[in-house]
Amino acid sequence: MKEQKTTHFGFQQVPVEEKAERVAEVFHSVAAKYDLMNDLMSAGIHRLWKRLTIEASAVRPGHKILDIAGGTGDLSYQFSKLVGTNGQVILADINASMLGVGRDRLIDRGVAGNLSYAQCDAQFLPFADNSFDCITIAFGLRNVTDKDMALRSMLRVLKPGGRLLVLEFSKPQNQLLSKAYDTYSFKILPFMGKLVTQDAESYRYLAESIRMHPDQETLKSMMANAGFVNSEFHNMTGGIVALHKGIKP
Amino acid sequence: MIPLLTNAGLAAAEQCINKSLQYDPATKNALSSCDGKILSLHIFSPEIKIAVLIQDQSIRLMSQWDGEVDTQLSGSLIALAQLTQTPVHNLKDSGVTAMGDLQFLAQLQKILQNLDIDWEEMLTQIFGDIIGHQMAQLLRSKMLWTKNRAQTAQRLVGEFVTEELQAIPSKIELEHFYRQVDELRLAVDRVAARFNNLTSS
Repeated sequence: MKEQKTTHFGFQQVPVEEKAERVAEVFHSVAAKYDLMNDLMSAGIHRLWKRLTIEASAVRPGHKILDIAGGTGDLSYQFSKLVGTNGQVILADINASMLGVGRDRLIDRGVAGNLSYAQCDAQFLPFADNSFDCITIAFGLRNVTDKDMALRSMLRVLKPGGRLLVLEFSKPQNQLLSKAYDTYSFKILPFMGKLVTQDAESYRYLAESIRMHPDQETLKSMMANAGFVNSEFHNMTGGIVALHKGIKP
Repeated sequence: MIPLLTNAGLAAAEQCINKSLQYDPATKNALSSCDGKILSLHIFSPEIKIAVLIQDQSIRLMSQWDGEVDTQLSGSLIALAQLTQTPVHNLKDSGVTAMGDLQFLAQLQKILQNLDIDWEEMLTQIFGDIIGHQMAQLLRSKMLWTKNRAQTAQRLVGEFVTEELQAIPSKIELEHFYRQVDELRLAVDRVAARFNNLTSS
């Protein structure tokens, strides 16, 4: 009998082909209140994490940017202003609900012209080789089934010299902070999720998926293995979140 | 944690500046001429690096910027603050080092010198016409009083240090001293010339 390949979905093991579907269910469930929950969960600090990501992108007018797992469009909104009328931003997300919320929100904020939308999987990016000056993936990589494949796919569509920025939850560098963070993630977070979105399970998955995500050094070596050079990371809020940067040679 | 706090401070300052600029449409309009330009500020003591991006008639403050900048300025906080009053073409002895596009710096300086935020409009929008107007009048009179007091204090401190304490010489004494030094130098030159003349003949 053929052995079925599995991967993690939070702390559970699920067949590889099921993970994307299960992640999609989580995000369909939270899409409508995603921004509100982000503000509540991080006490608004996620805005500063994203702000530092924008600064690290060094995006200039005329650049072409791919914002993978762009969700509700926080980064795309800023990029769209930075690249100007001669540049282009593509907001990509695998989840139709998240993309829908993001598109409505950006249209309501008057962003149009240099911004396009694409529903696509980070592992199989439907773009030509050497297309983008910068690719960002913020709080999305941990939900991807095969992260190595996704990193290789991003490398392929980046222009030589282009940069990849991965903003993702990571491992706190302080023992005390780590303990407090565990209590917060596994006790308070699902409770908040239940109160606001009536969905504690999705937020339990969020906490579990963060624990299963590679730590700072592991992700850095994964980026190097995929072919990125000058890979480095920058811890934020004591390592709760890390920004990884890699350049396509 | 520190970069995040710096970033939070910059985000708050940025919001405050852009909000204030809404009450000075002329300055907002003038910023269009610098659209897309980046000024990097390196402040010594305390050591702070900030990049200022001008975009869509507003400014963006960044704690780090990996890309190219148009103009780079470095110096102490006081020296950089005084730069708003000093002509850009004469930075000698200003304590500021400038690199890159100085035309952009001159444009920016001109914009800052013409800054005229309508605080009264801002206050009336928040507190209503009557209270806002009274607050603006009070603010104006207090600012004028502070300016006058500062000028008087500067003069009084100067007089106290020179006349009462006699810790430093007055301007007249200094000028007299310089004149004496000049006369002495000329006398020495004359003696040297005469000596040379006598020894050569």
